[in-house]
Amino acid sequence: MTKSDSYEMFVEMDNVDGDVKIKKKKKMKKKEKLESMKKEMDIDDHEITLEELEMRYSTSITKGLSSTFAQEVLERDGPNELKPPKGTPEYVKFARQLAGGLQCLMWVAAVICFIAFGIEISKGEISGYDDLYLAITLIAVVVVTGCFGYYQEFKSTNIIASFKNLVPQQALVIRDGQKNQINANLLVVGDLVEIKGGDRVPADIRVITSQGCKVDNSSLTGESEPQTRSPECTHESPLETRNIAFFSTTCLEGVATGVIINTGDRTIIGRIASLASGVGNEKTPIAIEIEHFVDIIAGLAIFFGFTFFVVAMFIGYAFLEAMIFFMAIVVAYVPEGLLATVTVCLSLTAKRLARKNCVVKNLEAVETLGSTSVICSDKTGTLTQNRMTVAHLWFDNMIHAADTTEDQSGQSFDQSSETWRALGRVASLCNRAVFKPNQETVPIPKLSIHELEDPLDLRYLLVMKGAPERILERCSTILIKGQELPLDEQWKEAFQTAYMDLGGLGERVLGFCHIYLNEKEFPRGYTFDTDEMNFTTSGLCFAGLISMIDPPRATVPDAVMKCRTAGIRVVMVTGDHPITARAIAANVGIISEGSETVEDIATRLRIPVEQVKKSDARACVINGGQLKDMTSDELDDALRNHPEMVFARTSPQQKLIIVESCQRLGSIVAVTGDGVNDSPALKKADIGIAMGIAGSDAAKNAADMILLDDNFASIVTGVEQGRLIFDNLKKSIAYTLTKNIPELTPYLIYITVSVPLPLGCITILFIELATDIFPSVSLAYEKAESDIMHLKPRNPRRDRLVNEALAVYSYFQIGAIQSFAGFTDYFTAMAQEGWFPLLCVGLRSQWEDVRLQDLQDSYGQEWTYSQRLYQEYTCYTVFFVSIEVCQIADVLIRKTRRLSAFQQGFFRNKVLVSAIVFQLCLGNLLCYCPGMPNIFNFMPIRVQWWFVPLPYGILIFVYDEIRKLAVRRHPGSWWDQELYY
Amino acid sequence: MANKEEKPEGKDSSWKDFIYNPRTGEFIGRTASSWALIFLFYLVFYGFLAGMFSLTMWVMLQTLNDYTPKYRDRVASPGLMIRPKYFDIEVNRSNPQQYNKYVQGLESFLQQYNDTLQEQNTVCTEGDYYMQENNELVKNVCQFKRSQLRQCSGLADTNFGYAEGQPCVLIKMNRIIGLVPRGDPYINCTAKRDTPLQMQYFPSEGRFDKMYFPYYGKKAHPNYVQPVVAVKLLFSEQDYNTQLTIECRVEGSDLRNNDERDKFLGRVTFRIQVTK
Repeated sequence: MTKSDSYEMFVEMDNVDGDVKIKKKKKMKKKEKLESMKKEMDIDDHEITLEELEMRYSTSITKGLSSTFAQEVLERDGPNELKPPKGTPEYVKFARQLAGGLQCLMWVAAVICFIAFGIEISKGEISGYDDLYLAITLIAVVVVTGCFGYYQEFKSTNIIASFKNLVPQQALVIRDGQKNQINANLLVVGDLVEIKGGDRVPADIRVITSQGCKVDNSSLTGESEPQTRSPECTHESPLETRNIAFFSTTCLEGVATGVIINTGDRTIIGRIASLASGVGNEKTPIAIEIEHFVDIIAGLAIFFGFTFFVVAMFIGYAFLEAMIFFMAIVVAYVPEGLLATVTVCLSLTAKRLARKNCVVKNLEAVETLGSTSVICSDKTGTLTQNRMTVAHLWFDNMIHAADTTEDQSGQSFDQSSETWRALGRVASLCNRAVFKPNQETVPIPKLSIHELEDPLDLRYLLVMKGAPERILERCSTILIKGQELPLDEQWKEAFQTAYMDLGGLGERVLGFCHIYLNEKEFPRGYTFDTDEMNFTTSGLCFAGLISMIDPPRATVPDAVMKCRTAGIRVVMVTGDHPITARAIAANVGIISEGSETVEDIATRLRIPVEQVKKSDARACVINGGQLKDMTSDELDDALRNHPEMVFARTSPQQKLIIVESCQRLGSIVAVTGDGVNDSPALKKADIGIAMGIAGSDAAKNAADMILLDDNFASIVTGVEQGRLIFDNLKKSIAYTLTKNIPELTPYLIYITVSVPLPLGCITILFIELATDIFPSVSLAYEKAESDIMHLKPRNPRRDRLVNEALAVYSYFQIGAIQSFAGFTDYFTAMAQEGWFPLLCVGLRSQWEDVRLQDLQDSYGQEWTYSQRLYQEYTCYTVFFVSIEVCQIADVLIRKTRRLSAFQQGFFRNKVLVSAIVFQLCLGNLLCYCPGMPNIFNFMPIRVQWWFVPLPYGILIFVYDEIRKLAVRRHPGSWWDQELYY
Repeated sequence: MANKEEKPEGKDSSWKDFIYNPRTGEFIGRTASSWALIFLFYLVFYGFLAGMFSLTMWVMLQTLNDYTPKYRDRVASPGLMIRPKYFDIEVNRSNPQQYNKYVQGLESFLQQYNDTLQEQNTVCTEGDYYMQENNELVKNVCQFKRSQLRQCSGLADTNFGYAEGQPCVLIKMNRIIGLVPRGDPYINCTAKRDTPLQMQYFPSEGRFDKMYFPYYGKKAHPNYVQPVVAVKLLFSEQDYNTQLTIECRVEGSDLRNNDERDKFLGRVTFRIQVTK
């Protein structure tokens, strides 16, 4: 596979694209877009002569544009910068926060309250401002939670904004024949610019002159090796030719001047970026989960409300009353604090991750990593360090492994050999070899001649490096253990073996040799002329081989291993060559030891590739050329059959196809990458992870998460945190949902049995938004029950966040116990004040009659309306206290889903303990703070009423322990199926 | 639940299958035996809960006293109420049909104060609390004869003055178990206007005699009648056709009559209008 092939494929990619996506209109549009992109790519700026180029852009290759003309062009083309992807307007984002499913229900409830209040006013009989308060509270709740969500979103977008334009890029431009330093975004087509080592190429440039200019195209193609840029057109493809340097690539060394041929979004990078923005953003799995169950809750709330509205109408309540019942049921049933809880839990995890250098752009992405089942990782810069490093050395007829770790902390080889000193000297001397311009094309290896440091030794040392076989041609001796031995066939064979071995490792091999020049022939001051070659270039002494590779980051193999144990498949998708890709894959464990590809098996068994059973091969390396010819079904098959996959020489579009294929197979896909070429795939992935240091802006923009320290191992932390938060969110939601039943049943009993109202709406809002928020958030701090990193990732279709078992268990079992606790306490408080349970039944209409100021209780005492009202508030408070006591038991049982609470430990989660204390304090404050009865309908209740629900609290705890015990003891049993959530 | 989720994906006519799936015999996601099992489970579960609820209720009811409520702090002070039970009284003195409902109301209320009934009750000493020992299970009731209300008794004037445009309104104080008002409680009514309205109180000075206190509760004190005060509003011709707001308070004792929020604690306000 040659480079040119792959690049043509990059240009023609849309054909494959077209095959893959057939159905939807939207995709058709995308295809058209790609089509037009292809056309635009057919530029010939690199093929035409300089004169034609000057004509085309009305410029001069010596003086550049005139400032006035440049200004005109700037106005025509716009600034030279990538347009940021169109963001949603801020007010739309805010409005979205206010218009979710639950929020809409709350609006409806608030409107009903207003209507009820309005009707009461128009009738002239204001029994109280409760309805008005309730309406205002409901609106406040929606707005405040909306603001909170908006703030969270805003904050995370801001982090990203700070990455951009940290330093405005400068460029050296020649206009009117004068060099100027200007902001790169003011450059226009036709400008003559100068770049030197360390600069970022400010636009797509046709190179006019070059001196040893090399660029790093890794962000565009994934190749780690620097690419030479020179004025000649070497290939008809604009992407392959040497005389074009691309926008946002880095010039590593040398200098070059060139004429700008494309700016801003019209550059190659700009096109890939716009391809990325064309890819729709997938909804995160957790967003789907939350939406799924919010819909269910909203549906159930409306169903309950409507049913009881009809029942109330049927029983004979007035329409307005029935409407108020509807509203109250909605308020009671909707978990108002839930969305805030979820947001807080997610942002807690996001913060925790940020401390470990993972910045999350989209809060929900926090969980996505936890459900990830496939990681498609880019190689260069993500798995590897993106710098060529000496990996192996061959001297003294031995291959030595060099330390390739980032901080040189690894084991080094034995450096005592004389040969090593010679080889080291040659290598270091050749490293800074300076060439005259145009000399690279001379077919001799790099060489240089040096004076020796030893003042007594007047000889010159000639050192040379280059392609090993070429170097060997010029050698007649070989250095072994510091001794020059004649280079015979035996040594040549040894050299060949070593060369093949190193080449097979996917490393770039260089040969080194030297010779001490005869001091008589070449005395001090001798003028060496490389053109004339007036010195010895044969009969040299071979020093050894050095092979280089872009080595994997030290932490990567371990991280890949952890991903494996966590059931996550790591697939390498790179733009680099298959051999290198495979070597790195084997190195980091993406291809595990002993795994073979189809080709390996074929060579081992000496049978044709076609006869090998595909299922025998664990590993598979597919390059872009093969991928081009594969249908999407074949690709799916390949992904299914081979657990260890490496894709090499892939174009950005192909990366996209691979991601889509994984998603088709039902996987949740994470993509890691740093380059512009990764950005479409990053966007398409369920979670895109960009590198913070090495990553390009395009990649960071497309990603959902950014690894600030470029450490692949952080992903493992992310996976762990994601899984933990999924489990803990489940617990939080279960906790939050439970109390909706004891909030709802008072209304149902009130409507059907006509007892005095046991629990008011405002009290419900206090439970939802004040006392229970902290405990439900504290569950996010719960430690994992088992080693979550040894489990398989969840199946997004089967392991739902809120499943039937969770809802049923919370609603019909724990919720039911809580309701019974509330009613026990309610009837106790009523009976002890003089209202026996049987009297309460059917009492409602008299109880609520404002004219009836002498209602008799069970003992014959007569109560005024106000006295009854305060008694009702007492009931609210008593019911509230019951729910609180039961919720404390609830939060304790929710700590674990499977383990016993004793195994998990009661005090390990300090936040939870303080949350319980907080809950009790707040409950006491609400009950006993003076003034509460008339503001929030809380009454100072008798101390013993706190203890009435206690047996039920204990029952909840004991029952759940029994449930967990049965679930642990009998996995797969009826209990496990029905009661494990 | 597991059996539901393992269904193959890509089913289109899912809801029909969901209600009844002939292949698996599932009805709304469960087979008949699965339904039976879950039904049985909830039967036991709720049975147990109901049992526990009943038990706690029973224990709680056992702790209660039949004669006096455990706590009486919620009704520390009595409220006042009027008879007839209307806060907006409109009397057209020449139209018996119109005011008949008030007369009827008063008449039926006063049935229990009929002299024949009251003569069976004890004659107590005026000005003293009628304290009775605990061992007497059924407490004696002090006599309050209807005739004590004189013009407002409805005996001589069966129309309670409504026909003359000088209607009677009865003020009664809510029963509170064990309440013994300190001082000498009496009713004082005022019309909310600049010039005072003439009124007559029965019994004289609108007093609630101490002998009617304390009340021992429905069970111990079954035939108890609470003292009432009748107020005859002496409207003159020029008072007709205007709505008057009358406020009556119990005064001269420790009974509260100025609670900010409870407008009926020791006081009662009503509106009355008399037309010809």
